[in-house]
Amino acid sequence: MAVADRKASVTMPRGTLIAVDGIDAAEVVAAARARIAAAARPRRAGVSLWDASGVFDDLVVAGPDAGIPSARTLLLLYAADLAFRLRWEIKPAVIEGRVIAAAPYVATAVAFGRAAGLPTAWLKELFRFAPRPAQACYVDCSSARSGFIGFGCNQLSQHANGFSARDTVARARTHLQAAARRTRF
Amino acid sequence: MASRPENRRLRELARLRFTKPPGRRGFLVAFEGPDGSGKTTQRKLFKTWLKSEGLDVVTTKWNSSDLVKPIIKSRKAVQALSPEEFSLLHAADFRHRVEHAIMPALWDGKIVIADRFLFTGLARDGARGLDLDWVLRLYQPLLWPDLVFYFAVSADTSGRRVTATRTPNFYESGRDVTDLDDPVESYHRFVTSVIKEYESLAVIFKFITIDAEQSMSQQHYQLRELFREGENRPWSEWNVEAVAEWLSLTGRQA
Repeated sequence: MAVADRKASVTMPRGTLIAVDGIDAAEVVAAARARIAAAARPRRAGVSLWDASGVFDDLVVAGPDAGIPSARTLLLLYAADLAFRLRWEIKPAVIEGRVIAAAPYVATAVAFGRAAGLPTAWLKELFRFAPRPAQACYVDCSSARSGFIGFGCNQLSQHANGFSARDTVARARTHLQAAARRTRF
Repeated sequence: MASRPENRRLRELARLRFTKPPGRRGFLVAFEGPDGSGKTTQRKLFKTWLKSEGLDVVTTKWNSSDLVKPIIKSRKAVQALSPEEFSLLHAADFRHRVEHAIMPALWDGKIVIADRFLFTGLARDGARGLDLDWVLRLYQPLLWPDLVFYFAVSADTSGRRVTATRTPNFYESGRDVTDLDDPVESYHRFVTSVIKEYESLAVIFKFITIDAEQSMSQQHYQLRELFREGENRPWSEWNVEAVAEWLSLTGRQA
C-alpha cells in the first residue's frame, strides 16, 4: 500500500477536508484512519465512509427482476450518497473546525466512470457540487475486495456487453494512478 | 463504453433502426405539466385510443423503477432529502427506466407514453433553486421525445384540484424549500415556481401546449389530432448517442 499526499487550495473554512481515494474500501479506510490518528488533535477528527446514506445497501435488497444498474445509474447514486455525506458529515465537521477524511471521495467515482468508458466532462459536471479537498491521498491497492469500485464492477460484469469485473477494476486503478500523477497526489 | 469504431457502428445501427425500421418505428410521447393538470387522466384516455387503433403501447411513469423507487420512497417518508439528493435520485430512477423500459420498447417499435419525463425533474429542481444546466447534464445522454404535450393550468387551478381530494405531501408541496408549515400555502407557492420553470422549458424545448382548463373531451380530441399531425415526424438525430450507449450496454446487434 503506497500513500502519497497532495496539498491543494483550501476552499472550505476552518476545518480540513482530506480526500482519500483508492479502489479498495478497506485499505482506503485504514489509510484514512492512519491520517486521522496522525492529526494534531485526533479526537476532533473523523472519517466519512462510502454509503453512509444506505443507498447501496438498499440497492442490494432489490431483486434481480429490478434490472442491473448501469455505470451511469451507479454514479448518480454515488453522487446522491456523497451529497448526503457532505450535508450530514463532511460540511458540519469542517464548519466545526474538525479534520474529516472522506474515504472515498470524488476521484474514486471518477476512476470508476472512466473505467466504464463514460465521458470525463459528464463525470466532472456530476460532481461539481463537491468542494475541493484541502488535501488528497491516493492509496494504491492491488484489488477491490470491498467498497464502491468492487461493487460497481461486479454489477457491470452482469451486463450483456462483456465487461469483465477484473478488467474494469484494473482500468479504474490505472485511471486513479494517472489522476494521482496529474494532480501530484 | 465502446471503442471509437464500435461507437460509430452502434450509431449507424441506431440510425438504421429508427429511420428505416422493419415495421413501425419506436415513438416516444411525453405528458408533462404540474400536479392537478389532468395529464394522467388524459394519458389513460390517449393510451386506450391508441390501443383501439391497433398500436402497441407501453406506459412509463415518473419515479417508478423497481430498483430506485423504493430508495426514494423510504427517504421521502422521513423527509431526509436535500434538493441535490432529491434531484440525483430521480435522475438515477429515470436513467434506469430509460435503459430497462423505454429503450427496449422503442427499439421494438412500440409507442412509449411517458407520464412525466425529464422535464419534470428540470421544472421541480429548478423550482428548488438548482442550476438547470447541472440538472440537464444529469440526464445525459439525452433522449428527446418525439412529442411533448404540456398540460397548462394556473397555480390556482392546480392547487384547487389537488387539495380537493387530499393534502399535498411534504415534497409535493415543496415544504423542503419554502419553509412554510401550511401544506396548501406552500403548495401554491411551490407550484407557481414549477409552472414558471415549465413555461420557460415549453419555449426552449418546443412543447405542444394543451389548455388543461378545457373540458376532458376537448383535450382528448385535441390530443388525437395533434398526435396524427406529429406521428410522421422524422426521428431526431439528437437521440443517436443515447441509443448507441444503450446498445453498447445491452450488447444488442439488431
